Formats: sequence, C-alpha cells, structure tokens
Amino acid sequence: MAVRSRTREAVNNAGGLSLNVEGTGWFRGHSWPVHVALWLAMMVILFPMAYAALVATQTNAEVFRFQLTPGTGLADHFDQVWNDRNLGRYMWNSTVQAVLVTAAKTVLSLLAGLAFVYFKFRGKWIVFFFVLITLMMPTEVMILALFRFVSFLGWKDSMAALVVPFAASATGAFLFRQHFANLPRDLAEASQIDGASPFQFLFRILIPLSWNAIGALAVIQFVFVWNMYLWPVLIISDQQEQVIQVGLQGLQGIDTGLTFGPLMLAALLASIPPTLVFIALQKPFMSGFALGADK
Amino acid sequence: MKRILALLLVLAMLAAACGGSDDSADNATDAGDDTTDTTASTDDTAADSGDESDGDSEAAGDAATIEMWIAFSDDARLGFTRDRAADFNELHPEYNVVVTEFDSYNTVFEQAQLAIEDGNPPEIIHFFEAATQEALDAVDGDGNPIFKSVTEAIGDRTEILGEPVVLGDVVSAATKYYTIDGQLYSMPWNTSSTTMFSNMDILNEAGITEPPATWAEVEAACEAIMALPDAPSEGCITWPNHGWFYEQSLGQMGVDLVNNDNGRSGRATEIFLDSPEAIDYIQWWSDLENSGNYVYTGVQRDWDGTSAAFQAQNVAMLIYSSSDTTALTQAGVDNGFEVKSSFMPYNQDIAYEGNLIGGATLWLANGLSETEEDGALAFLNFFSNPENAAAWHQLTGYIPITNSAVALLEEEGWYNESPNSAVASDQLDAAADTPAATGALVGNFVAIRDVVTAAIEDVLVNDVDVAERMASAQAEAQQQLDDYNELFGE
Amino acid sequence: MSGSLQLVLSLIVGAAIGVLSYGYRTPRQAALGGALGVLGTGAISAALGFCMYAADAESTEGVLGIALGAAFAWMFGAGTRAVLNRPGEGSGVGGGGFGESQIRTGAYRLGWWWPWLLLSPTLIILVFFLYWPAFQTFRLSTKLTRLGAPRVGERCLANFSELLIPQPVLVATLPLVAVGLIWGIGLWQRRSNPDSVGYSVARILRPLGPLVLLLALYFIFEDVNGGYRRIYLNTVIISVGTVALSMAFGLGLAYLTFRRIRGVTVYRTLLIWPYAVSPPIAGILFFMIFNATGGVVAALSSRWGIDFPDYTQNASLARMTIVLASVWKLLGYNLLFFLAGLQTVPRDQIEAAALDGANAWQRFRTVVLPALGPISFFLLITNLTYSFFDVYGTIDFLTKGAPAGATSVAIYEIIRVGVDNGDLGRGAAQSVVLFLAVIALTAWQFNQSEGRINYGGA
Repeated sequence: MAVRSRTREAVNNAGGLSLNVEGTGWFRGHSWPVHVALWLAMMVILFPMAYAALVATQTNAEVFRFQLTPGTGLADHFDQVWNDRNLGRYMWNSTVQAVLVTAAKTVLSLLAGLAFVYFKFRGKWIVFFFVLITLMMPTEVMILALFRFVSFLGWKDSMAALVVPFAASATGAFLFRQHFANLPRDLAEASQIDGASPFQFLFRILIPLSWNAIGALAVIQFVFVWNMYLWPVLIISDQQEQVIQVGLQGLQGIDTGLTFGPLMLAALLASIPPTLVFIALQKPFMSGFALGADK
Repeated sequence: MKRILALLLVLAMLAAACGGSDDSADNATDAGDDTTDTTASTDDTAADSGDESDGDSEAAGDAATIEMWIAFSDDARLGFTRDRAADFNELHPEYNVVVTEFDSYNTVFEQAQLAIEDGNPPEIIHFFEAATQEALDAVDGDGNPIFKSVTEAIGDRTEILGEPVVLGDVVSAATKYYTIDGQLYSMPWNTSSTTMFSNMDILNEAGITEPPATWAEVEAACEAIMALPDAPSEGCITWPNHGWFYEQSLGQMGVDLVNNDNGRSGRATEIFLDSPEAIDYIQWWSDLENSGNYVYTGVQRDWDGTSAAFQAQNVAMLIYSSSDTTALTQAGVDNGFEVKSSFMPYNQDIAYEGNLIGGATLWLANGLSETEEDGALAFLNFFSNPENAAAWHQLTGYIPITNSAVALLEEEGWYNESPNSAVASDQLDAAADTPAATGALVGNFVAIRDVVTAAIEDVLVNDVDVAERMASAQAEAQQQLDDYNELFGE
Repeated sequence: MSGSLQLVLSLIVGAAIGVLSYGYRTPRQAALGGALGVLGTGAISAALGFCMYAADAESTEGVLGIALGAAFAWMFGAGTRAVLNRPGEGSGVGGGGFGESQIRTGAYRLGWWWPWLLLSPTLIILVFFLYWPAFQTFRLSTKLTRLGAPRVGERCLANFSELLIPQPVLVATLPLVAVGLIWGIGLWQRRSNPDSVGYSVARILRPLGPLVLLLALYFIFEDVNGGYRRIYLNTVIISVGTVALSMAFGLGLAYLTFRRIRGVTVYRTLLIWPYAVSPPIAGILFFMIFNATGGVVAALSSRWGIDFPDYTQNASLARMTIVLASVWKLLGYNLLFFLAGLQTVPRDQIEAAALDGANAWQRFRTVVLPALGPISFFLLITNLTYSFFDVYGTIDFLTKGAPAGATSVAIYEIIRVGVDNGDLGRGAAQSVVLFLAVIALTAWQFNQSEGRINYGGA
C-alpha cells in the first residue's frame, strides 16, 4: 500500500503536480479540543441517522411511544422491505444506472477535456461556454419537455431513458479541462514528436495521470444518480425498472398513514452503496479535486 | 456498448429530425410538434395491430395483458387489488391483469396524462372524483376521446366472459355523482363520504353521550372537553384542510359550487367560491381555531397528521374520510379507547340538504382491441362483484358499492357487529337528490381545490378577513376555470 | 401607447443595447452593433408574432416585450463579439478566468474536424437533452396548454406579466435604477484614486448594489394573495440561509478534520455520511425529529415539561427547519470539497506567516481563504443549485410549502403549478424565471471572482 501510494505520488510529481500530503503539520497546539469539537459535531450530525436506526427496529406503536430502546420490528421490517417491496431490485437498477452514467460521463468528459486543452479551433470559447452553461440548466425545470422528447424516442421504461440524457457532463468537462491544463505542456509536445495520435496520447499519458480526477468525478456522479427522483418518477412506470428513491417513496404507505420503521430501514440500506463508493474512492477524491489556486 | 448504441440512436434521431424539419417549412415550432405526435401515434398503431394479431392467431398462447394503474400503495389496499387480479387471472388464464401502484391520486393522474400523451395508456386507470371532468374531456393527438364510456362498452350484455355485469346494481349515491348524459363513463370503485370520528372515552368524561351533530353542538362539546382537567393536549377537534370538506359543507347547506346545476346540466362556466354560506362555514372554522378548539396541523391536505393526532388521543374528534373507518376503529381498540363514527356536523341554521361522495372510479381506455376490452370489462365487473365489494368495504370503510353487496353484508350481520361501518352509507342515503348534494362537475378541479385550501390556510394561519380572502380566491378560481374552458370548452 | 410606436421604441432600445454590447470604438463597429441589436430585437419579436405590440397588450406585457427585445439585442451583440474576437483577447463574461491564455503550446495541428469529433458526443447529448427541452420550455411559457387538451391557447407574455405588479412604470424603472446604481458605484470605484476616500466609500458601497437589485425585484413581483413575491422571498431566504450556513459549517469542519489526529478518517467518513442521504429522506428524518405529533424532540421535551414550538405553525421556524435539513444534507459534500481544497494551500506560506507571528485566525484569513477561492466558487454554484432545485424533496416531506406558503420556493411552485395542477404554460414560465435567475447569479459570480481566482494552472 505504502509503496503504491508513493508510486502514485512519484507519478504526480513527475507530472509536475505537487500535491500537499493530507494532514500536514501547519496546525499547532493540542489535539484534545479538536477531538471534543469533532465529537460534538458528530453527535449533532449523526443524531438523525442514529434515530433513524432506532426507529428502523420499532413498530409504529413503539415509535409513537417514543421508546428510546430498540424495538421488536426489525425482522418484520426487513422482510417487508427486502422481500415484499423488492428493495434489492430497486437498488440493483440504481446501481446499474449509476455505473453506466458514471462511465459514460467519464469517457465523454475526457474526450471533451482533450479537445478543449490540446486543440485550437475557432469558436472554442463559445463552445466551452455552451457546455459550461448547462451546469446551470437543471433537468428539473424542463422536465416535461424532456419527458416528451424521451418518450418520443420510445425510451420510456428503459435504462436508456435513465442514462443517455445524463451521459454528458459540464462538471466533468470542466474538471478535466482544468486538470489537463495543469499538466506540463511538454507532455503533449513529446507525445507529438513520438507521433502519437490524440487517442494514444489520451490513453497512454493523460488517463494514467488522471485517475484521481476520474475517481473524484465518479463519487459525485454516483451520488447524483443515486439520489435522482423526479425524473424516474415520470419516465419509469414499470415497477421492475424503477430506481431506489422512487422505491423508497412507495414505502411511505405500507400501511394507511406513514409507517416509519420500514421506511427508515430502507433509507439506511439505501445510503450504504453511495457511502461504500465514497469510502473506496476517498483517496483519489481528496486529491482529484485539488483545483489549484494561481501561484 | 450500450452507450455506443444509444449514441448511434441519437445520431439517427438527429438525422431524422433534420429530415423532418425540411418537410415543414414555415412554422417550425408547430410543425415540429405535429411531427412528434404523428410519429408517436403511428408507432403506437403499429404496436397495437401487432398485439391484436398476436391475440387472434395464438389466443391459446400468451395471455393478453390488462394493465391497471391504481393510486393505492399501502399493503392492505394494494394487496387486496393484487389478490383480486390474481383470482381473476386464475379464472381467466387467457388474461393477465397487472396492477401498478402509484402513491397518490395526483401522481396516477399525472402519470396517466403523460402516458396518454405518449400514446400508450394502460387499459384501466384509477381516477379520483375531481378528475372526472378532465377525464371526460381528454383527447389524444387526433382528437379522439381517451376513455370509453363503460355503459357504452358493456351495452346490453348481462355478463362478459362469464362475469355477471354489476354496473346497473351500483348504489344510488355513486350513480348520482358519476352519471353524465345518462351513462356511467367509469366504473365506480372506492367511494366514501366525510364522517366524524369521536373518542367516546373523552366525550363521556366531559358528560357527552352522543357525538355532536351540528356546528353549535360541536362548539358546546368542545367547551366541555377543553374544560376537563386532562383535556386532550393539542385541542378538541381536527380535520384536514382539503377542498373536499369545503365542498361537503356547501352540499349540506344546499349551495352549488358552479353554475349550470353544479355542472350537471351543461359545462360549468362560473364558479361561486365566496357565497355567504361558504363564508359562514370558513368563519365558523376559523372561530373554532381561534378559540383553541380546532387544531390546524399547519399542512394542507394533511391526512396523516390529523389522523395521527386522533390516534394519539391528542384530539377528541376527527372529521375524516369514511375510507379509514375500519383502521380508525381498530386504532381505538389498539390504543384503548372507543371510537364512534357519526355524520359530518352541519350548520343548524340552514336546512340540511346532503353530503357528497368522494373517492375514485376506474376508467376504461378507448381504442382497445375487442379481446382486451372484454377482458378489462370482465375484470371490472368481477372486481366489484358482491363478495369482492363487501370484502373491500370491510377491509377499508369505503361504502359497499353495489346493492347486492349491501344485502350480503346485512345478511352476515356485519352492521350489527360493526355499527361504525354503516354511517357513511346512511349519510349518503340521507342526501337529497339535488345538484348541490350531488357535487360539482367542473374542469381544473385540482387547481380550484388548491385555490380554496390556500385561501383557508391564509385565514387559519394569518387571520385575514374571510370575505376579502374568499373574494380574491373567487377571482383566481374563475380564472382557472376560464382557462380550462378556453382549452376544452365547445 | 400604440403598438407600432412600441415596436419602434423597442427597436431603438435594441439598437442602443446592441451598440453597448458589441462595442463602439469606431463608427463602423457602432453601426454593426446597432444593426445586430435591431436584428436581435426584431428576431424575437417576429418569433413571438409581434404579440407584445398588439394594441390590446397589457402594459406590463409591453414593458416585458421591450426588456425581452433588449435581452436578445444584447445576446446578438455580445455573442457576435465573442465569436469574432480571437480567443484570449479578454472577451465577454469571465474572459480572464476562462480564457484560453494558458494553452500556448502543445496543441495538436491535425484536421479541423478533430476537436469537433471529440466534442460531438457531449454536444449532441447537450443539444438534445438539455438545449432542446430548454427551448421547448421557453416556447411553452407563452402558451396556455394542458395535457390532453384539444387546443392550445396563445398567452404571449401574459404568463410572465401576471407574476409582476400591474404598474408598468415601476416594473420598468425599479430594476433600471438598481442596475444603474451598481454600474455607477463600479464606475466611481474605477475612476477614483485607490488611496482616496471616495474609493474606500465606493468599495464599501459595492456590495449594496446587488442588495438593491434583490430589493427592486422584490417590489416588482405581484403581492396580492398567491402572488409571486412570497415565492421570491421564500426562495431568497431559504437559499441564502442554506448556502451560507452549509459553506460556513463545511469549512469549519474541514478545518477541524484536516490534520493528523487519531481516527481522523473515521471522523471524516461519519461526518460525510449524510451526503449519501437523498433530499426526500432528509425531509423525512427531520420530520420525525421535529414534527409536533410524531417528532421525538417534541415528545421528549414535553416529557420534561418544555413546550417545543411546532415548526408548521410559524413561518420563520418552518423556513429554519428547511434550511437546517438542507444544511445537514449538504454539509458532508462541502466538507469533502473543502478538505480537497485545503490541500492546495501552500504550506510554506503558512509557515512563513506563522514565523511572522500571525495567529491562527490571521493565517486562516490571509493564506487559507484566498487559496480556497476556486473550491468556494465551485461549491457556491453547486450549493445554490441544490438550494434552488434539490430542496424540493425536503420541502415536500417537511412542510409541503406550509404554513400559508411560507416555505414554497420557486421549484416547489413550478411543480405545483406545472405538474400537480397540469398548467404547463404557467409552469414553464416560472421555470424560465428560475432559469434566468440562475444564469444571472452565475454570471454575476463569474464576474465577481474574475481576476481574483484563476481556474487554470501556472
């Protein structure tokens, strides 16, 4: 592990990107006040999650009694949520969607970044603005128009409807453009002298130097897709193809009125995959978003 | 791979779109829209004819799918529907009824409209009463109605695929509301009314033996209840701020909501939100809140919150939908208090005319093949056959929808065993046969109800003047109705 | 005012805006700018069938028509200038920060189509799934239409004008006064000597400009029951509260966890966890904690004899609860990015400052904060997007816009009008308003950060 991370650092340094190792010593003083402060923050921030975990074990009657000890409903709730309501199916659909969207966004953004940084062409500024401004064009405000178009394509109830409209990313293009622009120029020159095509340059040089940025983008996109709600509600009516957030919504009314236990259990289960993705990609994320300030 | 495929598709579309816009020279935008519609409906026709030939040539093979969209996602009601569908599929192996649930009436309504636009609606759709006018008016891109009248589709048949037709047996309250131009366009299903639920333990403690029947009695009862040393913590009474309660109150006082006999002798073109009676009702409501007796949960259409307050015994009385009679009665048993259901309190100063129904009906898609249509009709009649209708009533508290179901329940002695369950039917039977007590038929009803609940909320929360606020709500609602009629009117 | 007079006025305004946006250094340039302006105004007027100049057009609609014409004139002028100007010549919005200056060598010299080939998948998807629906939304915003309706009604700009007060004079002048003030203060600052008192006064006054604009907008939105002013106010309060608090707390936590202490990875992971929770679930969680009947805090405090206030009964509390839930959800995200940003802080400068005797706060202010500029900008945009759009799920669960519409923000109203009530035209019009607000805010941000933050490398 240590060796690998040192290699990565070496590659980064070779690429001219000097990253500050996390946890540098520029804070002085005792660490116990920090521990106290962090504990306090954690207690406040994790309280909703902890209470959710408690409620997940309780029947509605126990919830309304505000019992502060674990209840008796956990097994029932798991059965309801996992077996009756097919939560696993929804989570699988969301996972497929998230992986496809993330992969597509990464590839498209890499290509766009390559074009923006290593080519000169007329109207580049306009094209870049054209891409960047979509950062401020959320699907939500034009969801009905998008619905009409996507159902015109015949993609209703299909994975394509959940993936293709989100396959391009202004965030990604922006990120890779910054990242590539920060790499030393002689990389491209050397590779041109070697006679490499832009694609060879991308795959041999740029991508190996961009794993951090790719990992960072993956985390954001995974969570973004995982939390998607309004769009799948409209475009997916076949429950077999439905995604997790909409599935969670359906759990509100297992009984007449809100049933808290199963809903909380499902919410906690549903928060596991994004958390895992984050933990797995934490290192690259931390370094990948080190947008440099001007020196 | 998938991505590349998708991209190729988009590229193909790009080419198609370019080709399309070449045809339409002038009005680029409108023409573009038309192209969309035609293409979509052509696709649809192709798909449909494909289905049909499948059904004809290999009738014994794959079962014809009947899709049914409903607005219930709770275990009990969704489970009931799924079970009946399974029963039907077993009886008729040539059909496969598939139930898809949505979490509210509004969602299913929106989804259905989108599916209709998309040219691919399900065979059976569950619409609430407020969507009736809009469902009647809905047309597809070619101007054909989206739904087919159930009366017309059944014709004079007395049974379909062996299932006896029960449409003619539907109880009068539902028939009265849903009959338009002499026919039932949709098959009545879950039908309820507004009833009151009282926590008799608290009422008795305050020396009240019967639930209050009028506004004045409610006030008196509340005074007694709130004077108790252990008065309920939140207040005396609550009900959701939903347009339906306002409409019920108008019905009780014999006031029409819209012109043309509440929209029943012709298309409604004028709305009367600020009639003196309506203002009286909201003033009474607001006074009850100001005196600390009525509890406003702070959220519009808050069925969950008001019900939870009653179940937690934080209020003594709840005006609610009879749809939850069974659950609320049981909640009393679970939490150790007696629940008694009674008629919705009325204004003692005005002669009582009648309460209305609420709930929803099942609509049949237009343009189905004969096989599909017969299957859907057979299922609709099976779904409300006496046994099923009675079971549905017992499960929920929606009224038994046919007379034979009522007879069956009486025979079983159900009403003696569970007197609360009879209240909604009795209340509806007591209503006069007048437009006011039948309920309004009006377009854009959802938006109009929104205007009403927003105005009432303003009165409850911000204490604005009732008459002034309702006058501005009136203007707003009239605008909504005018807009609707501009698009759908003759 | 008669229709044709209005059209002439609109074209004159368009020409003036065209000149201003395209440039007026030479007479030829000015003439071209004017022509472009007239072209822009004319194009949008023609696209709408000159409906805003119809004799029966409401006056507010007329003002909006002129404003729309002016906006297109500006787009034509500034757009043409941006296309014609060579990259890197400091063109248009954010020219410095987003210009091309950093790539001087190392560019491929292959066929002209190469970059277009690389960009085509991105562009195709953006055009079809973002620009086309956006265009459709603009189109819908001038109609009266519902799903399943046999007809479509023409509303021209009425869907917009009914969001505004019916006094066209105020609608026209208030924003102009505000913009004039901003421009004036900027001019004053540029013209005065950096050492003079005037400069300092102008600098202090500068942030006042945007506030005045916010205030001007507040007054031009319709106020009567159900008017848009309420929605505007809610949106401003909830989004400002959310963005400010989540960024402040996010930075604070990042500062605390950016050090080598025992268990720091565990702290970070747990603190970031809420980020994995979706906005609707965040709404449910806070509902279960603060709700008067079903909430644990209310129940426990009543056990201890405290009367916990019900957030659904009080406008400020309701807004605070929404902000709280959003901040809770956003905190992890901001923490993550600030942690990444802190790594770019030059260590040697910190140490140098420490040697100079700067205390922790001074080091933070003079070294750390400036280095966090790019990350802060990115977070500002994404947090703003969150508080404008994603907050929908939270509101839908916590308050449904209650009490009396005090938490109904723009996106909530769009969905209520456009989807729940099926009024596609009005829903689209409100979408356009929100869209314009986001664009304007972002452009303003670009402008603010220009010169201070460079998004490129060395």
